[in-house]
Amino acid sequence: MSDAAQITESAELSWRGETSSPFGVHWNKLMMWVFIVTDGLLFAGFLGGYGFARLSSPQWPDQLEVFHIGVIGLMTFILISSSATMAMAVRAASRGERTVVVRFLLMTLAGGLLFLGMQAYEWTGFIREGARLFSNPWGPPQFSSYFFVITGFHGSHVLTGATILAITAARWSKGRSSAEGIELAGLYWHFVDLVWVFIFTLFYLV
Amino acid sequence: MTKGSSETGYGVYWRAWLVLLALTLMMIFLDQASVSRPVLVSILLIAMLVKASVIGAYFMHLRFEKLSLALVVGVGLLVTGAILFFFIAPDAVRISRISFP
Repeated sequence: MSDAAQITESAELSWRGETSSPFGVHWNKLMMWVFIVTDGLLFAGFLGGYGFARLSSPQWPDQLEVFHIGVIGLMTFILISSSATMAMAVRAASRGERTVVVRFLLMTLAGGLLFLGMQAYEWTGFIREGARLFSNPWGPPQFSSYFFVITGFHGSHVLTGATILAITAARWSKGRSSAEGIELAGLYWHFVDLVWVFIFTLFYLV
Repeated sequence: MTKGSSETGYGVYWRAWLVLLALTLMMIFLDQASVSRPVLVSILLIAMLVKASVIGAYFMHLRFEKLSLALVVGVGLLVTGAILFFFIAPDAVRISRISFP
């Protein structure tokens, strides 16, 4: 084999994650990680901007007086639990346990939908109390702006994740999805949970 | 899934879930307790990073991937986020101290 052919073959194997890939993963999983990092930087930008607004404002509303922290805690519990069931679905898929995978995927989907329902409830209460995108009764207008933008973007990610889960569950039950497909859907869902950990702490608690 | 993860059952996920739940409950209780602000913020930030690490390591299987992938993802996100914040934070503090006529 010529040097050029060897290099080409080596590059192809690397790209498939089969030999000397620096990350040791298949290319589609690597692309999912690239997406996760870039999407994570989007949220880092939002939260960095929120930190700027918070530090530059002479006063900031007390979140405990504005939000129902019990509801937010319950939403966090639901999302964490759905992430655990998703991890179990990935595990079951790697074992080839077909019905168990569907059961865990549906539990995860139910958690996501429940989270979205509770977020809609939270948004409704917030709007009824007078919060708008550029104004609110508690003081700095940036407070409600960042609330709607950050939680809205996260909510749209949850909705996207729930849609992916529903499609993946349907495809898996028909035998048209692989264990790797479940793993990629899982990575996205865990990312949604990971982002919420930061939002929950920085926006609702700190 | 890659090396190592095939050796674990569901138990590792239950333990990770319990850790996350315990940390979340602790954060909520601390937030409502009478703890000094700097201490509270420090504890909350540490707990947040621990939770993120548990999710990344066990749910996203970074613990079982090659170290290079875990480093690129973890360090890349955290360092970029930290740089972003610490570059703009001084300006935010400066603006808050400006008195407008």
